[in-house]
Amino acid sequence: MATEVCAPRLVRPERRSIARSLLLTLPILLWSLLMFFHPGSSAEWESRIAAAITAVFMVALFFMMMRTGTTYRWRRCFLVSLGVLFPVGFIHNLFVMRGSMGIPVEEMIAGRTPFCFMPIPTLILPAAFTRTIAFPGSIVPAGSAASHGIAAMVGMWLALTLVMGKGWCSYACFFGGIEEGVAAVPKRAKIRKLDGRWRYGPWAVLLAMVLLSFALFEPAYCAWLCPFKAVTEYISARNVLGLVQNVIFILLFAGLVIVLPYLTKKRTQCSYFCPFGAFQSIFNKISVFEIRIDKTRCKSCAVCQNACPNLSLSKESIARGETLLSCMKCGACVDACPQQAAVWHIKGTDVAVKPERARLLFLYGAWAMAVMFGGSIIAQGLATIFHFLA
Amino acid sequence: MRDRRLLAVYCASPTFGWRRRYSARMVAPVLFGEALVLGLASGPACIAACGPVLVPAMLTGQGGMRPGVRTLSVFLAARLMGYLLFAVVAWELGTLASLLPASRMLLMGGVNVILAGVLFWYAYSAGHICGHACSEPKLVTIGAAESHRTRGAAVLGLLTGLSLCPPFVAAGFRAAQLGSVFQALLFFTFFFVGTTVWFVPYVGLGCVVRNQAVVTVARMAMALIAVYYLLMGIAMLLGRKAYGY
Repeated sequence: MATEVCAPRLVRPERRSIARSLLLTLPILLWSLLMFFHPGSSAEWESRIAAAITAVFMVALFFMMMRTGTTYRWRRCFLVSLGVLFPVGFIHNLFVMRGSMGIPVEEMIAGRTPFCFMPIPTLILPAAFTRTIAFPGSIVPAGSAASHGIAAMVGMWLALTLVMGKGWCSYACFFGGIEEGVAAVPKRAKIRKLDGRWRYGPWAVLLAMVLLSFALFEPAYCAWLCPFKAVTEYISARNVLGLVQNVIFILLFAGLVIVLPYLTKKRTQCSYFCPFGAFQSIFNKISVFEIRIDKTRCKSCAVCQNACPNLSLSKESIARGETLLSCMKCGACVDACPQQAAVWHIKGTDVAVKPERARLLFLYGAWAMAVMFGGSIIAQGLATIFHFLA
Repeated sequence: MRDRRLLAVYCASPTFGWRRRYSARMVAPVLFGEALVLGLASGPACIAACGPVLVPAMLTGQGGMRPGVRTLSVFLAARLMGYLLFAVVAWELGTLASLLPASRMLLMGGVNVILAGVLFWYAYSAGHICGHACSEPKLVTIGAAESHRTRGAAVLGLLTGLSLCPPFVAAGFRAAQLGSVFQALLFFTFFFVGTTVWFVPYVGLGCVVRNQAVVTVARMAMALIAVYYLLMGIAMLLGRKAYGY
């Protein structure tokens, strides 16, 4: 993070014409209609209005991406909305179903807890050795809260991840949306120097949680370290140990999701802690989409490094012409680069040759997922708000 | 007292009596074959239970197959010592009475707290042992912690040997039915051999490249695992006050 900032002339990408932008937005428009409009359904009016607003919102953001040639700020609008509205709908559901945000042990044993993607890495070893999973729910459909079975959810996640790599964290993770929203609040970072070795934090948490989950046969991250338990479902404390767990959740949330993002203007939970993010990084090796630095254009001004919300660029990586493995493909560096040296890239092709084509191909996949996965969550959150307003 | 009464009831049971009568004449290969098979069957649970301690410890050590084998051998030898020590002490102090729940919680709580302390020390010291005259302490110094690693592996092995993981408890109850402490020791030894087969893949950790990233990750993970053991250890020592039952 400690970098010298110069102020080179910013070369803005050319704006597309409205007609061309609309044409490029058409596939997403059709996809949104498919996702949000169900004529003849018996949904409440709040849900219908929420779905319509969400569809317009998602299509408008994509249109602006096409029109301006920039990605980051429009994607951020979506992700922050997702981060803010997810707890609204989720907590409301919990109160309707359970009357509380606290989840008692009996509910966990019965598998009546919604499946979250965060424990996926910790499920692998127990599943491989015992053919069952260390998570409250069933691996195949069996009437649990995850009615399609956790295997189906994991399958969907895997398919999307193989295409986008760690793009999941920028276009689907509602938890990341919360801290991205907090990081956007201050105008300038108050803390600008953080030891780069803390970047290894997510890998350490991943290693520890995978090993502990295998040893204890419980989702150790969910039980002990998930900061987002503070805004989703916490453990219904019936003893001192339960109380300690909840205190840990709240402290981690306050520190990593509120205070540090505010002070650093970075996604600190993602950068220093999130084990799922570390696991997701591995798939950046498989995904064909990536961000590269065109060394012939790069002036080493480090603007991209400062702009990256995830500390995924270092001087060494820029010199190599690539990002670190943890790149979330949010597009912040590409939009910030004054020389247009940071470019979208498809593996196996020449760097900086038709980068806009690579960007488009990536965005179609990423935004289609955003509409399907995040859009439905936004619509649910909005419907909840309308329900209370009515 | 309550534990001893429970044990007395158990020892008076027909099954126990039958086994005591016939144990002397029992064919040794069958008995120790049983221990071996129990160890083999319990292996996955054993590698899972030892994983949080062993994996980061090996990753902070020197790379290569030979150092990996050496560290694992020291760890396993110390683990066997832990097994045998437990078998002898428990047998002499009341025929494995300490396997009963109340005593078990206290023993495990104590072992977990000590384990946490050793892991903290291991994680901290792995970064401060310099093989050369470095002017300032570095976060990671790779390949300069030879004696530290051997001692550390031995202590960790001994402590995991004393941790009463489920397979160990199963073996302990079976060993309690044997006629003499010598037989119990042999039973535990064969049980150990059975579980050890499952540890062989851990040698592969020696092949993982050692660089600043890997060693730092292992040290951070070790510290995190130590915090977990510390919390659980304190909770076990507090017993009802922590768990509420």
